[in-house]
Amino acid sequence: MKTMPRRFSILPLILLCGLLLDSSRGEDPTWWSFRPLSRPIAPRISEFRDADRAFNKIDRFVIAKLREQGLRLSPEADRRMLVRRLYFNIIGLPPTPDEVEKFVNDPDPNAYEKLVEKLLDSPRYGERWARHWLDVVHFGETHGYDKDKLRLNAWPYRDYVIRSFNEDKPYAQFVKEQIAGDILWPTSPDGVVATGFIAAGPWDFIGHAEVPETKRDGKIARHLDRDDMVATTMNTFSSITVQCAQCHDHKADPVTMTDYYSLQSVFAALDRADRDYDIDPKIAAKRLELKAQLSSSEQAIAKLNQEIEKAKTDEIRIAEKKIAKIEKSLSSENSNSSQFGYHSKIASTQDTEKWIQIDLGRVASIQTIGLFGAKEYGFDDFGFPYQFRIETALEESFEKATLVAQFEDVDHPRPGSEPVEIKAGGIEARYLRMTASKLWPRHMKGQTVSEDWIFALGELAVIADGKVAEVVGVHSLDSIQAPPRWSKKNVSDGLFGGSSKIHLEKWLPGDSKDQSAQLARLVDLRNKLLLRVAGPKAAARVEQVAIKSELEQKIAGLPMPQKIYAGTIHKGSGNFIGRGGLQGTPRPIFVLNRGDVSQPGDPVTPGAVPGIVDSLPERFKLPANHHEGDRRVALAEWITHPENKLTWRSIVNRIWQYHFGRGIVDTPNDFGRIGAAPSHPELLDWLAVEFRESGGSMKHLHRLILKSAVYRQSSSDIATMAEIDSSNQYLWRQNRRRVEAEVVRDSVLALAGKLGLKMGGPSFQDFVIEHPEHSPHYQYYLSDPDDPAIHRRSVYRFAVRSQPQPLMDALDCADPSLLVDKRSETNTALQALAMLNNALLLRMSEHFAERISAEPEPVAAAFTLALARSPNPSELETLNDYAAEHGLAATCRLILNLNEFSFID
Amino acid sequence: MNFPLSINLQSRRDLLKTAGGGFGSIALNAMLQQELGAAQIPPNSVTQIAHHPPRAKRVVQLFMAGAASHLDLFDYKPALIKHHGEKSDFGEHVEAFQNGLGPWMKPVWDFQPYGACGKMISEPVAPLGSVIDEISFVHNVTGKSGVHSQATYLQATGFNRPGFPGMGCWISYGLGNLSDELPTFVVLPDHRGFASNGPKNWSSAFLPAQHQGTIIRPGTSDPITHLRPSGKTNFATSMADADGQAVLARLNREHARERPGDSRLEARIKSYEMAARMQLSAPEALDLSKEPAFIKKMYGLAEPGTQWPKTINAPEEADYFGRKCLTARRLLERGVRFVQIWSGNDNGFPRRNWDSHEDIERDHGPLANGMAIGTSALIADLKQRGMLDDTIILWTTEFGRMPSTQGSKGRDHNPFVFTNWLAGGGIKGGLVHGESDEWGYKPLDRRNPTEVYDIHATIMHLLGLDHEKLTFRKDSIDRRLTDVHGHVIKELLA
Repeated sequence: MKTMPRRFSILPLILLCGLLLDSSRGEDPTWWSFRPLSRPIAPRISEFRDADRAFNKIDRFVIAKLREQGLRLSPEADRRMLVRRLYFNIIGLPPTPDEVEKFVNDPDPNAYEKLVEKLLDSPRYGERWARHWLDVVHFGETHGYDKDKLRLNAWPYRDYVIRSFNEDKPYAQFVKEQIAGDILWPTSPDGVVATGFIAAGPWDFIGHAEVPETKRDGKIARHLDRDDMVATTMNTFSSITVQCAQCHDHKADPVTMTDYYSLQSVFAALDRADRDYDIDPKIAAKRLELKAQLSSSEQAIAKLNQEIEKAKTDEIRIAEKKIAKIEKSLSSENSNSSQFGYHSKIASTQDTEKWIQIDLGRVASIQTIGLFGAKEYGFDDFGFPYQFRIETALEESFEKATLVAQFEDVDHPRPGSEPVEIKAGGIEARYLRMTASKLWPRHMKGQTVSEDWIFALGELAVIADGKVAEVVGVHSLDSIQAPPRWSKKNVSDGLFGGSSKIHLEKWLPGDSKDQSAQLARLVDLRNKLLLRVAGPKAAARVEQVAIKSELEQKIAGLPMPQKIYAGTIHKGSGNFIGRGGLQGTPRPIFVLNRGDVSQPGDPVTPGAVPGIVDSLPERFKLPANHHEGDRRVALAEWITHPENKLTWRSIVNRIWQYHFGRGIVDTPNDFGRIGAAPSHPELLDWLAVEFRESGGSMKHLHRLILKSAVYRQSSSDIATMAEIDSSNQYLWRQNRRRVEAEVVRDSVLALAGKLGLKMGGPSFQDFVIEHPEHSPHYQYYLSDPDDPAIHRRSVYRFAVRSQPQPLMDALDCADPSLLVDKRSETNTALQALAMLNNALLLRMSEHFAERISAEPEPVAAAFTLALARSPNPSELETLNDYAAEHGLAATCRLILNLNEFSFID
Repeated sequence: MNFPLSINLQSRRDLLKTAGGGFGSIALNAMLQQELGAAQIPPNSVTQIAHHPPRAKRVVQLFMAGAASHLDLFDYKPALIKHHGEKSDFGEHVEAFQNGLGPWMKPVWDFQPYGACGKMISEPVAPLGSVIDEISFVHNVTGKSGVHSQATYLQATGFNRPGFPGMGCWISYGLGNLSDELPTFVVLPDHRGFASNGPKNWSSAFLPAQHQGTIIRPGTSDPITHLRPSGKTNFATSMADADGQAVLARLNREHARERPGDSRLEARIKSYEMAARMQLSAPEALDLSKEPAFIKKMYGLAEPGTQWPKTINAPEEADYFGRKCLTARRLLERGVRFVQIWSGNDNGFPRRNWDSHEDIERDHGPLANGMAIGTSALIADLKQRGMLDDTIILWTTEFGRMPSTQGSKGRDHNPFVFTNWLAGGGIKGGLVHGESDEWGYKPLDRRNPTEVYDIHATIMHLLGLDHEKLTFRKDSIDRRLTDVHGHVIKELLA
C-alpha cells in the first residue's frame, strides 16, 4: 500500500481513510453501492451440509458464504429462547409465562410462523419499530441549543410513524410522505403530519428568533438548519453522507459541493414551525379549496388595484397624499417595537405593591389617562395587574396624593390589546402614579403560571391641556432594566412592543377632530373621483373585497385545525420571518466557499447526487415558475425511483440490523467508500430487489428474515467457528442481543403490572418543568414514579434534547441531537447505579413484588415472569435466601438487574 | 484482504466500546499506536500516554457562561479610558448582537500590575494577583458566532452545533481513567441552572458513554444521580445493597459461564463492582467538612448556614465558586482527570451569569470576585501539593464583550475577540500570547488570531495527545476535537 499523500494531512480524514482510498480505487473504480441494483440468483446449495435447513433464499446466500469460510450454521435455538427473542425483537415486551408455555408446547409444526404473524399483527409492533425509525431521524420534542424550548406539536409525527409501521405502508409512500406529503397528499391526515420528519432535528431558537437572516449569525443558523435537513434526508433514506461536501467536495464519494448545495436548495423555502392540518380529509379538502379561492380573490384584488392605480388622475393622487399625511399624524407609527415597556422586579407574594410614576415637567390639566398592556410571551397585557389605583400629585414624593381611579375591590377585566381609558376630569397635577396592588404571575401564554409576581406595563399615556403630554421623567419603586425590551422609560415612548398602534389622538379634543373630519371629506372626494375614472373597476374591487371577506369567514368557520411541528413555509414576524411573506419563494442558495456564509460562490438549482439514478438528471427539470414543493416532490421521486441504487439497499440493511444486531453493511448511514463494505453483498441486493418488488412491504421483509434458518439459530458460542470468525460477520450463529433502554423500561412496567397501553397523543413528561418562562429546567427527579401518566411505553416519552432522562441516558438511548443509525452499547458504573437506584425502577420493584406476593413460590414466579424460564434449584435457593433477609421488593430489584434480564439469547 | 482496513478497525472499536472505561481506552490506544504508528506507550501504566510523553495528567476547565468581559477583567485598554464617552468608531460596519453600540466605555474598575510579570488585572479579579506569575493570558482568541448556544458549543466541543463530544470526553477517550472509583470527567454546573445547551456541552455524543461528563452537585442531598436509591422507597437498604451485589455477581457469573465467548457479560458484572466502589469513594471525595479551616477560608467558603441577601453579592459568589474549586481539588487528588466548573446559569431573571447587557458592574463584580477567590486558591493549593505541575487550568468563556456601551452600563456581545488564560501543567507562566487591538474589539493581528482549536490542541499536546491523531469515525468522517484546524501554541509551553 502506498502511504498517504501529504495533502491529506490537514483533512478530517486520517491515515486509514487515505489507505482505503488508495486500495479501493486501485482495485475497482466502482464502489459496490453505486452499481445498479439487480436481483442476484441465490446460490445452489443442495449438495452442501445444512442444505436441508434452508428455509428460504436468505439461507441459501448465508449458507453458501459460510461454506466459503469453512463455517456452518449453528443449531436452531430451542423454543423457549425463540419465543423470548421474537417478543423482544418484534414488539419489545416480554412474553407472559402463559404465552411462553403455549408456544413451547404447541404441537403445530407451524407454531413459529403463527407466532411471527401474531406479533407482526400486534399494535405493539408499530410502537417497537417506530422507535428504531425515530432514532435514525433524530426525533426530539425540544429545540435543543440555547433555552431548549418545548415542541408541543411534534408528537403527531411520532404517531404517524407508528401508524405507518402498523399499517405496513408501502415504503415508497412512507418516504414520499415524509419529504413532500403536504404537496402530494395535502388532504390525507398523513400527508402533512409526515413532514414532521423535516423538522425532527434540533433548531437554534436564538439564532432564528433573535437574529435576522440579514446578519451573519442569522445566516449561519439558517445554513446549519438546512444542513440538518439535507443530512437527515440523505443519510436516512439513501445512506450517503452528502454533508461531507459542505466545505469541499466529498473526499471519497462522488458528491461535489454543487451537489450538496443543490440539495440545500430543495429545502430552501422551509423553516421549522407549527403548521395546521386537518384530521378529517373532507375538511382538509374544503380548507384547501377555500384557500385556493382566497388566493385567487387576493390576486384579483391585486390586479384591480394595479389597474385602478393606472387610471388615477393627478387630482386623485394629490387627495391621496393628503389622506396619507393625516392618517400618519393620527396614528403613532412604529409597530413591532422591541421596546416592550416597564417590568417590575419579581415579588414573592401577589399582594406586594409596585408602582411607577411619570413626571409631566409642569402642572397640567389632565383629561385622559391611557394604560396600555405590554406585548410579550403571547400576551397583549403581559404583567398587567389585576388590581391597581391611579393617583396624581403636585410633588414627586406623593405625600399628598389625589386618587383618580381605583380598581381594588374586584379584579379589573383583562385589557388584552385594548387600552384602559381613564377620565381624569381635568385634574391639575404634575405627577401621576399607577400602583399595582394585586400582581400578575409571570408566565408564557399556554404555560403553567409561576410564583413570580410582577407588574409590567406597555405605555402610560396622558392627555393634558388638550394634547398628548410630554413626559420628562419616569420613576418606579423598582424595575428590571433590560433595555431595549424592558426599561421604565419605555412607558412613555409611544411604543409598546406590539403591532397595534397607539391611538392617543382619538381622545383629543379640537384639532384632531378637525383632522378626522377633513380626512372623511378627503376620502369621500377621492372615492367620487375614482368612480368617475375607474367606476366599473372600483365596483368590481368592492365586490371582490366582499368575496374575500366571505371566504375568510368561511375558513374561520371550519373546525379548528390541528397543529404539527413540521418543515414548512413559515410566515412570522420579528427576526424569524421565514419565506411566507414571499409566497414561499425559496431562498437563493449558493455554493459557499469553505462552507462560509460570507463567501457565497455560484448559485445552484435544486437537484441531487449524480450517478445514483441513471435515468434521472442530477439537477431537477423544473419550470422557472415552479412552487417550492415541486423541488421536494422531485427529490422524493428521485429517492424512491426503482433505479435508485441506494434507497432499497439502505432500508433492507436497516431492517436486517434490527433483527441481527448488525447490518449486512455495518455503517447503515454510510454506504460510501469510507463506510463498511457489505458482508453479504448478493444477499443485500437480493433483499433490496425482493423488498422493492413486494411493493415495499416491511412486514414481508420481516417474515422472510424471521422465518429464515439463519435468524432461528442459537446464539451460543462455538469455539471452532469463533476461531475463524470471532465477530460473527458471516452469521454462523445468531447474535446475543442487549436490550435497549426503552425495552428495559417498558418490560419493568409490564412486570410490575403497571404498563398502560394507551396509544398515541401528546407525550408523557417524566419531569417537572421549572422556570418555563425562560430556559425551562427539566427536573426528572421531581417526577412521581406512581403517576399513571408516565406508565406508558417509552416511545411516548417526551424526549428533551438538552437534558436527557437519566435512566434512559445511562442505558444508551438515542441522543436526539445525533442521527443514530446504530446505538452504542456500554457497561458503565453509572449505568449499574441507574439500574439499581432509579426511582421508577425501585418503585416498580415494589409493585412487581406485590404482584407476585400471593403466589405459592413468589420468587420463582417473579423469576419466570422476568426471564421466561423457571429458576434452577441453586438460583432459587440463592434468591429465596436473599428474599428471606431483605424482602420480595429487594429481590425483584435484583432480578431486574440480572444480566439475563438485559440480554436476549 | 477481503475488506478494507476500516471495517476491521470499526468493528474492533465497537467491540472495545462495550468494555468499561479504562480498558477500552488502553486497548484503543494500543491499537491506534499499532495501526497508526505512534510512539511506544506502556500499555498498562497508570497514566496512559497515547502519542508522546505528557507534561500534564489532569485538566480543570473554568467556563464563564454568558460571555465574560475581557475588557473589564484581564485585557487592559488605556485607549478606552482616554476616549471614554466619545462616540465609538470601529472603522468598519459592526453587526452587533442586540444593536447595542454606544460610545466607548472604559473598564468599570481600575487595573493594577501584579507579580514579577507586572500583568495588569482589574479590581474584582485582584485575588488572582498572588498567582499571576503562574498564568499565561491569550488576549486574541476569536470565535465564530455571537449566539450563546453556538459559541458555547464551539468552546466546549470544538463545533458550533450539537452532536459533538466535549473536550473532557475526548480526553477521557484518549487517556482513560486514573481511578476506577470515580468518573474520569466530572462537571460541576452552576447550582442555579445550566448554561446554554445544558448537558450537551459535556455529552459524549458519538463517543462511548463512559466518556460523558458526570454531573456532581456538591453539597446537595443527591450529589450524583443514582448514587443512592432515589425516591421514597425504603427497602433498598445498604445491607440489601451489599448482599445484593454478592447475589448478582454469583448469578451473573453462572449465567456468563454458560455463555462463553461474550465479553460483554463480564464487562457488565465489572460495571456493578465499579458502581459499588464509587458508592464508597464518592461521598468521601465530596465531603469538605474535614478540610482544615484555613483551607476553607482560602477558598472563600462561608460558615455553614450563612444567610445571603437577595441581591447578587461577592461573598456568596465566592462561597459557591470556592466550594466547587475545593471539590475539584479533592476529585483531582482522587484520580478524576478532567473537571469542568461552570459559573453562571441560563439567561433567567434576575441575571446570574456573565451576559451583562445591562450592567457590567452589577453582574461581573460579584461573579468575577467570587471566581477569582476560588480560582486563586485552587492554583495555590495545587501548587503547594505539587499538583500544579501536572494539572492544567483553563479559564474560558463563549465570547467577549464590546468596548462600547450598551444602554449606559452594559456591553453587547463581542465574538471577534476575547480572553482565555491557562496555568499549570506545562504552561509557562507570566506571559501574554496574542494581543487584541487598542480597543479590544478584534485581534491586533487579524490574520493570526488564536482559535479554540489552538487552545484545545495545546492542552491535548500537554497531555501527551496529538490532536490530529485522536479520532473517532462518525458518518464517514474521522472526527477530532479540533475538526480540521488547530496548532499547538508553542510559545505557551514551559
